[in-house]
Amino acid sequence: MMAVAGRGAAAVKPIFSRDLGEAKRRVRELYRAWYREVPNTVHLYQLDITVRQARDKLRELFVKNAHVTDPRVIDMLVIKGKMDLQETIHVWKQKTHIMRYFHETETPRPKDFMSKFYAGHDP
Amino acid sequence: MLAAALRGLARRCPPRGAAAPGVVGQARAAGGSAAETRPTVRPKNEVEQKQLCAFGEYVAEILPKYVQQAQVTCFNELELLIHPDGIIPVLTFLRDHTNAQFKSLADLTAVDVPSRQYRFEIVYNLLSLRFNSRIRVKTYTDELTPIDSAVSVHKAANWYEREVWDMYGVFFANHPDLRRILTDYGFEGHPFRKDFPLSGYVEVRYDDEVKRVVAEPVELSQEFRKFDLNSPWETFPAYRAAPEPLKIEAGAKKEDAK
Amino acid sequence: MFRLPAVRRALARASGACGRTTATAASNQIEVFVDGQPVLVNPGTTVLQACEKAGIQIPRFCYHDRLSVAGNCRMCLVEIEKAPKPVAACAMPVMKGWNILTNSEKSRKAREGVMEFLLANHPLDCPICDQGGECDLQDQSMMFGSDRSRFREGKRAVEDKNIGPLVKTIMTRCIQCTRCIRFASEVAGVDDLGTTGRGNDMQVGTYVEKMFMSELSGNIIDICPVGALTSKPYAFTARPWETRKVESIDVLDALGSNIVVSTRTGEVMRILPRLHEDINEEWISDKTRFAYDGLKRQRLTQPMIKNEKGLFVYASWEDVLTRVAGVLQAVEGKDVAAIVGGLVDAEALIALKDLLNRVNSDTLCTEEIFPTDGAGTDLRSNYLLNTKIAGVEEADVLLLVGTNPRFEAPLFNARIRKSWLHNDLHVALVGSPVNLTYTYDHLGESPQILQDIASGKHAFCKVLDQAKKPVVVVGSAALQRSDGAAIHAAVSTIAQNARTKSGVGSDWKVMNILHRVASQVAALDLGFKPGVEAIRKNPPKVLYLLGADSGCITRQDLPKDCFIIYQGHHGDVGAPMADIILPGAAYTEKAATYVNTEGRAQQTRVAVTPPGMAREDWRIIRAVSEMAGMTLPYENLDQIRKRLEEVSPNLVRYDDVEEANYFKQANELSKLVKQQLLADPLVPPQLTIKDFYMTDSISRASQTMAKCVKAVVEGAHAVEEPASC
Repeated sequence: MMAVAGRGAAAVKPIFSRDLGEAKRRVRELYRAWYREVPNTVHLYQLDITVRQARDKLRELFVKNAHVTDPRVIDMLVIKGKMDLQETIHVWKQKTHIMRYFHETETPRPKDFMSKFYAGHDP
Repeated sequence: MLAAALRGLARRCPPRGAAAPGVVGQARAAGGSAAETRPTVRPKNEVEQKQLCAFGEYVAEILPKYVQQAQVTCFNELELLIHPDGIIPVLTFLRDHTNAQFKSLADLTAVDVPSRQYRFEIVYNLLSLRFNSRIRVKTYTDELTPIDSAVSVHKAANWYEREVWDMYGVFFANHPDLRRILTDYGFEGHPFRKDFPLSGYVEVRYDDEVKRVVAEPVELSQEFRKFDLNSPWETFPAYRAAPEPLKIEAGAKKEDAK
Repeated sequence: MFRLPAVRRALARASGACGRTTATAASNQIEVFVDGQPVLVNPGTTVLQACEKAGIQIPRFCYHDRLSVAGNCRMCLVEIEKAPKPVAACAMPVMKGWNILTNSEKSRKAREGVMEFLLANHPLDCPICDQGGECDLQDQSMMFGSDRSRFREGKRAVEDKNIGPLVKTIMTRCIQCTRCIRFASEVAGVDDLGTTGRGNDMQVGTYVEKMFMSELSGNIIDICPVGALTSKPYAFTARPWETRKVESIDVLDALGSNIVVSTRTGEVMRILPRLHEDINEEWISDKTRFAYDGLKRQRLTQPMIKNEKGLFVYASWEDVLTRVAGVLQAVEGKDVAAIVGGLVDAEALIALKDLLNRVNSDTLCTEEIFPTDGAGTDLRSNYLLNTKIAGVEEADVLLLVGTNPRFEAPLFNARIRKSWLHNDLHVALVGSPVNLTYTYDHLGESPQILQDIASGKHAFCKVLDQAKKPVVVVGSAALQRSDGAAIHAAVSTIAQNARTKSGVGSDWKVMNILHRVASQVAALDLGFKPGVEAIRKNPPKVLYLLGADSGCITRQDLPKDCFIIYQGHHGDVGAPMADIILPGAAYTEKAATYVNTEGRAQQTRVAVTPPGMAREDWRIIRAVSEMAGMTLPYENLDQIRKRLEEVSPNLVRYDDVEEANYFKQANELSKLVKQQLLADPLVPPQLTIKDFYMTDSISRASQTMAKCVKAVVEGAHAVEEPASC
């Protein structure tokens, strides 16, 4: 083979944060930025929700990932969160994209026999 | 001239490995009439192949730190398999070196092979207008390892990298404007990953009550076309030729081993 | 050994080998080589079969496992080492030490040459051909053919034949493999098809234009290796690769043929046979194959309630369930009764039985009558086809009583014919003379003859006494006469006598009942009462009809205020007289258990969802029970199958035949029957082929079946041809 020996890869290459503390700081920064943006968003997009509701949802979405401890994963989530924020601030998104966080139209799936029976053919 | 330079090189460093794909190609080329009976197969050019081999070796020798392997596939496609750290230096070298002049980034894409340790293969296809020559540079990464953006070397990489980020979720460090390019705002997941379901996670519809388009989790109740993938030729397994072994796989395995 | 194709048997005999058991044959097996790999085969094995044994399939067109060998397509040519010419693998028996070269240059060239000749006259209309995607010629030309043509001359064209409303012929595509001809004359027993002309002018057809009148005619579509014979109802509707295939069971007769339901966009596109050696081999009857369009017509898709004016109005499930539950709660147990029809699955049967038992009623009847005197339905052996369908192949004497198996169970008839053809089966018939596809001794029409045979006075007794493996098959219709019990008793005695005289072991059963509907055995297993006599005697206030469509009970038999609930999938005979209609699911729309006439439990699977608001039958009954406040203890399929297992474990042992016994005891009990045989002749309900097509709510709704009846009565030309290409 014409192969030329390469080097072994470094242990783990960080995305931004070198440790958990730094990653947490980034999360807090993102949260703050979002928190400040919420009233503006509600206004710009003419959402039919209160700022309170929106902030509750914001908190819920952040808490959903509270179990993550790997700084690289946190960084990745922060990157995506920032991307989302950018899309929101610039009003690239539309009302429907924002309201998707709230899952308004989804109906819970039937659980007991009778409601399944009325609902359809599902087993 | 590239050809001249290569000829000179060839004299200085005679071909080393007996397992070089070029050798296999020569053996096959011996049957001259074979090409005639297979009009769909591209005829091979031995001279060109030798040149490519030599150039690959040349680059590998100059950049031993980054180039892990150089190979010629499909008779005339030169590939450099490099370490992810070496993207900027290798691309810069290929762009600026007198004998390379690969000034045009024709394509940048990725391949997802979930079974590998570094599941994403990032592929740079370069074109040298000066020498009418093409080269492919390949490197690898996983979901969380950032890879250096090539925008500083080739401006064309900008949108390609956005596409790879969007479709595969590979993060490019130092990219000037890394954001989604193809998917809808609010879309979750990376559709070109092999573990992304064919049907996606959400489906959209217009809801008359809330007067806007809403996205809901996919329900598979509706019957979509399910193709039967059993080939009728399975009935004559004895008459089928064995599939050709994949060369790229072998190279990749070597990388992983390191 | 008995199921070998005719040729192999003939060859085995010719080579002087013992064709009886494999044990003796094993000692003189010969060794041949397939591509150098040694294989041990019985003497008389053909080259093709030897290769099959070595795991190599030889390409073929005319050869078919279940038909005689023709050897005329030449596609199976292979080289034998040291032989001067390639040999036709399907017809050549192997010799010791041969080395068969399946992929040598010579073999490949031979195939390519044959393929070139076949394609010389074959039109290149694959894009508009219905066989496209499942065509042997297409596949094998891709595999073995040349990639270019040398043929510059004009192609031959052949006029299409109209052979009925089921099979479409595009005879230009025919490659003269003669599979259809051999199928017609060997399996179907109808010598309608043949060849005319020679060489390039050879044509397959009926000589004079007539209908291919067989109840198995659809199978020639499957065995045709090209697109010459395709399905008329399926024409231009779907491609095989875009359909979803579901393996299921047929319920239009009592055999439970194994089928594959092809669906696309939530619609049944066609039905194909699935291999089951013990039931249908690889054939199915035309009703099974073509009645599927009945699943899309006259369906009950929404619950309905009859209003004051006597008209049905649509209602919601909530309404009808509340109403039904209210009615059930308001009456006493003795005033509630149920009748089940012929297409009902075991799950619905058990749910209905549990529901009625909860309201303290046990008046659960089947539409089909079965004599209950003597041992009645208490002993399972009394109502099963105990010999099993495949068992007929071993028999040497068969007595048919009051049945026409050709139309009641076409594939059972095909088995009889197979045995008659290959094993010299002696067949005798008591009942109306009907055109079976084999010769038989007609003993007479009167049931009195049974008496004579039973008492040993009849001439046929001599034959029966000498039989080594006798079989007696009585049609369920014969037992539905008013002297059914006496007939059952007489047949039982005949069977018992034949059994003792023949001296066969206890594993050989003689007595057989051939049912006509799919639900009967499961219903009897679950303890339903056969016949609606009990309901006529004690008219109920509430009557639950579960798919009861044979019209065995009418409004006139019931008191004026009787509340009738109909649950089923078709608006057929039963639905109009109901007060409330609950739409159920047909057999392609539910995962359900059916027990065939042998006592073999099999399950259908969901191929499409039930139309509209229709639901699976047992779920409807379960929902009624919850609304009525006596919830049945099952919510899903597993739970109800567990309940089935509690009642009768054989119902969930799928594809396993639970052996029934106690023939002697049943016979003893039958002697207590004090009924007299009537003098009326035994007439099976389906005498000719026109009675075959429309027998139940699904086939009665089918336009294809209606066309068949019309074509049979008025001739094939009466049915308009769809524009053919």
